[in-house]
Amino acid sequence: MSENTLQYIDNNSIFHRVDALSKLGWVLIVVIFTFQFRSAEARGIMLASLFICALLFARIPITAILRASPLIFGVAFLLGIFHLFITPGINTLFSLGPLTATQEGLTKGLEFFFRLAIMVMASFMLIWTTDIRELMVGLVHLGIPYRYAFAIFMALRFLPIVQQEVDAVKAAHAIRGRASSSPVRHRFRLWQRYLFTVIVNGLRKAESTALAIESRGFGAFPDRTYVKDFRWTFPGIVLMFLFIILGTWLIFWERHLF
Amino acid sequence: MIQPSSPSSASAGPIVRLSGLTYQHYGKTAPALTDINVEIKRGSFTLLVGPSGSGKSTLCMLLNGIIPQILGGELTGKVIVDGKDVSESKVQNMAHSVGLLFQDPEWMFATLQVEDEVAFGPENLRLPPQEIAAQVTKSLEYVGMNHLRKNLVWALSGGQIQKLGLAAVLAMSPEIIVLDEPTANLDPATTHSVHELILRLREEGRTIILVTKDLDEFMAQADHMILLSEGRALAQGTPRDVISEHGSIMLDLGVWLPDPTEIGLRLKQLGLLKNKAVPITVAEAVDALKDIRFKEISSKKKESNLGEILVRAENVQFGYTRKTKTLRGVSFDINQGEIVAIVGQNGAGKSTLSKMLVGLLKPSHGSLTMFGRKASQWNVQDLANDVALVFQNPEHQFLCDTVHEELAYSLLAQGIVDPGEVEKRVNSMLERLNITDATETHPFSLSAGSKRRLGVATMLVGGRARLLIVDEPTYGQDRRLTERLMELINNLRSEGITVIMITHDMRLVDAYVDRALVMANGEKIFDGTPSDLFQSPEIIERASLRTTALRRIVDGLRAAGTPVPNGLNIVDSFVAAVAFV
Repeated sequence: MSENTLQYIDNNSIFHRVDALSKLGWVLIVVIFTFQFRSAEARGIMLASLFICALLFARIPITAILRASPLIFGVAFLLGIFHLFITPGINTLFSLGPLTATQEGLTKGLEFFFRLAIMVMASFMLIWTTDIRELMVGLVHLGIPYRYAFAIFMALRFLPIVQQEVDAVKAAHAIRGRASSSPVRHRFRLWQRYLFTVIVNGLRKAESTALAIESRGFGAFPDRTYVKDFRWTFPGIVLMFLFIILGTWLIFWERHLF
Repeated sequence: MIQPSSPSSASAGPIVRLSGLTYQHYGKTAPALTDINVEIKRGSFTLLVGPSGSGKSTLCMLLNGIIPQILGGELTGKVIVDGKDVSESKVQNMAHSVGLLFQDPEWMFATLQVEDEVAFGPENLRLPPQEIAAQVTKSLEYVGMNHLRKNLVWALSGGQIQKLGLAAVLAMSPEIIVLDEPTANLDPATTHSVHELILRLREEGRTIILVTKDLDEFMAQADHMILLSEGRALAQGTPRDVISEHGSIMLDLGVWLPDPTEIGLRLKQLGLLKNKAVPITVAEAVDALKDIRFKEISSKKKESNLGEILVRAENVQFGYTRKTKTLRGVSFDINQGEIVAIVGQNGAGKSTLSKMLVGLLKPSHGSLTMFGRKASQWNVQDLANDVALVFQNPEHQFLCDTVHEELAYSLLAQGIVDPGEVEKRVNSMLERLNITDATETHPFSLSAGSKRRLGVATMLVGGRARLLIVDEPTYGQDRRLTERLMELINNLRSEGITVIMITHDMRLVDAYVDRALVMANGEKIFDGTPSDLFQSPEIIERASLRTTALRRIVDGLRAAGTPVPNGLNIVDSFVAAVAFV
């Protein structure tokens, strides 16, 4: 099977050994701090620290990060560009036809770029290093009814399969050739069709899955047994603690420096 | 041995009773099942057979209450399974009684790790953790996968996925095991190993209900056979009785039958197998036909009429990642006008090779030349005019909202823009494929057979393709649909189109292809005629293949001293060659 961007990467790293709830808590901590930062420098350092964690402590192959980078940076970049041009300001940097980029727009654009990139990168690290089942059991441990916890779990479980489906449809469409002389129209038609095929097949498969898990007794009782129950781990506590320290220090640093 | 946990297993009487059952799917105008009356005994082994769309899967889903509890619809009559009325018992509460293994168990998996997957069902039933752990080990040992318990489910091969699905079902200790086409897309040797597991369960006295087109190994073992057609139970009884009384109807319906049975039935129809029962195993066929005499067949060798070399692969290598090598130095030529089969175990590199031939992948080492140009100089769009690939799931290829538009799209993509010409070609292709009544139908709404034919049509309507690649022609098709598809492919070949088939079906290989390329672990281990292939036991074993039952009959007859002419590769030619029995 070819490798997918949105699936668990089976490594025995220290990050993998961190319990799922601590990792979820860590993502929340990272996101909360990111919204508290005022400078691009602090956000940049946070993003860099995520990359260091991914490469050194989660042992995520650089190829996996590169493959995911259009998702991590692509949307964030577009959001950044959008804010660069729509933010009103007085210090004009340059103009592109009717669009004017201002210093204020650049600051805002960078802010949004980093916020989104950090959130996506942290979420990817959670997906890459967490057996989603553990996350489900963890959520149940927090008191969330297992049917709801399982819904989140299934959504994440099927992300790589949906991606495979998109790849298969893309390949099949590529060999059909292009019927429209306009590349844009052609691309639009393809996207329309990817969505249609993936949604139709996705719904069919989701139905098969729902039937299969009900056939295996899912939902028969208000609760269920867990062979592997949830346990908080020490590295998890350390991870959350370290990022609280990092975030707090960055806030102090940027507010004294700038 | 894993036994059902319910103490009721000792009780007598049928474990499944369907009386006056009629069922209509929600939103449909005709019933999927009509007036079914069936009784299945505890501990029996039942085969459910019928052509595509006859209601087999619907019946399977009735047994554990998915129908009508989840899928709704209108049900009349009674369905009593393990003492419970499925109309009144929740699906979850049927889990102890019925374990259902779906056609594609990958979709039934709810977790990431093998052992978690097996534990999932018992966890839902609130069994104590220690008991679940023991059950998981026992079930995984049963299917021979305990050493893979820490593996991720998406890293498993096709056969392992099926075995894991079976282990997950066994871990719940159901009274009845229902298997819906469990080997639909597995290589022959893996299919055999799954069959062995099913037969082991049968020996242990489990109640098994099996839907499969690979009946060869089960005909003599099954207690009961139910023949479905258009939602009605046309016949039921022991396989031998059903075959002897309704065999001809089964042939007409397009049900896949084992070669010994088909030969027996066809000879009976010709009045050549009088006073003998229709054989249901290879051994019985050899015994019944030991006095057979064949007509004189001219031993004229098929003329080799090969055209230019269309594809030349020299030491082609490829890996999806740097560490893994999917193709390890493959070399071959494909000549114009050939039908070539690429065969081998699941994961041997067959699909990778076909993607390379349409330009979706490029070799990492070695050289691939297509139509006289290096593969590196081709892009997918250019190649699309010359090479047509029919995917296993034709839905992936469809881009438009009607069958007509779908064909017109292909013409436009090839630069044929004149509306009159487009109309003419589309209509001619629709007639050729016999789907004129569905021109305005959405491609997704077609039947499985029509979808497959439309998949071929979209690729060929432009009339410029020189090479057609078909991925697993028999997948999801009954015998009649497969024969129609193969007829189409044969006609294309006679028009000069070269065909490459990727298949696990050895009957197709033996019957239709000129040459077989056998792949194993990313290497080509054989390149020759099917006859030579089936006489190479070492290759057969290495590539996880199996000889066809017809070949085993021919070998058996020869071993018994009966002369059999060469070239009788399909049941048709075998039967046509028989002078008397």
